[in-house]
Amino acid sequence: MPFWKGSSAEMSEQDAYIALMCSLPGSERLFVAKQPPLSRIRLDRRLTALTADDAKVLNVLEHTLSWSAYDMDVTDVQAIQRCKQALMDIPQPTLRKLFVERMELRSVVAALRLRKRGEPAPSGSFGVGRWSRHIPAYWTDPTFGLDTPMPWLKEAHQLLEDEDPLGLERLLLSISHKQLKRHAARHMFDFEAVAIYVLIWNIFDRWAQSSATEAAKRFEKLAQQAMADVADIDFEGASA
Amino acid sequence: MNELVLTLGWLGIYAPMALGAAASAIGCSIAGMASIGAMTETEGGYGRFVGVSAFPSTMVIYGIVIMFTLNRAVTPENAGGLFGIGILSGIALMYCGIWQGRACAAAINATKEKPEIFGLALAPAAIIEGFGVFAFVFALVISAGIS
Repeated sequence: MPFWKGSSAEMSEQDAYIALMCSLPGSERLFVAKQPPLSRIRLDRRLTALTADDAKVLNVLEHTLSWSAYDMDVTDVQAIQRCKQALMDIPQPTLRKLFVERMELRSVVAALRLRKRGEPAPSGSFGVGRWSRHIPAYWTDPTFGLDTPMPWLKEAHQLLEDEDPLGLERLLLSISHKQLKRHAARHMFDFEAVAIYVLIWNIFDRWAQSSATEAAKRFEKLAQQAMADVADIDFEGASA
Repeated sequence: MNELVLTLGWLGIYAPMALGAAASAIGCSIAGMASIGAMTETEGGYGRFVGVSAFPSTMVIYGIVIMFTLNRAVTPENAGGLFGIGILSGIALMYCGIWQGRACAAAINATKEKPEIFGLALAPAAIIEGFGVFAFVFALVISAGIS
């Protein structure tokens, strides 16, 4: 790497995607806009500027973090194996780190849900990351003894106890968003910046989907459609 | 031995010009790519983006002036001085140009979202320009002492 680059050889070329990053709306705008400033189709069109290798890494990252890419009956062993495989395919240290952080978050939330369901402490390790042995060891502690590294766990535990899934979903999305923003501060125009932007876009997308107002509108629309269908049904020869 | 010393002297004379040109080329291309990206996202203000992306071009001008100031008959006595001033001022200009390009790219990226911060966003690039001017002015001052 040339002497003026000022970064280690493991990191991506720091000016690789200047035009691409400048052609994307600011990630902060995603959350305040009434209309999505960037559709997935437009985002995908912009991402054609990625090199084949970078596009592959981004695909692995997105695919492994996307819930829709998992079958409903996926086992813990399969999910963990998939994470390990993804880590082998992601060479950038920052992306590996944020991937592990997200998986740690998911592991601890999965543990909270299992415990709420009345499951006993798993034997050995649980989930992915630094706390996989810590979680079963502190199973009875409300926050698994992870108050310091994960101060939001108390609130998540409370939301789960209060049976507020929307509130919990929003809390987890905001925690994931903060984690990504922390990493984004060190990357302006490199591949890591692009990958973090796409992950933030995914959070925005899920955030928009979890919006109570939008959900209510969607429910109303579906209900009206259903009622319209009912109106067409002929009851004993007379229209209902 | 004398030939090597004389070669270093000539290197020193041309280095500010060559390194300044490289700095401006890299810096302008970095900022230029940012302005092109920003143009695809915004509806106006394209002229400002292009103007900002030309900021690092001053480095080659400083390099040319230093080169002309250092330009003289190279002798074994003055070759060391010419080499030292030329190479070091050239490296300083190169760093300034490349990083100024990055600062301009960041400014363009920020102002596409918030046009009202245009002036403030250029402050880092202007400060880097100041460091380039330091390297330029003091290269001229020091070169006066070379025979």
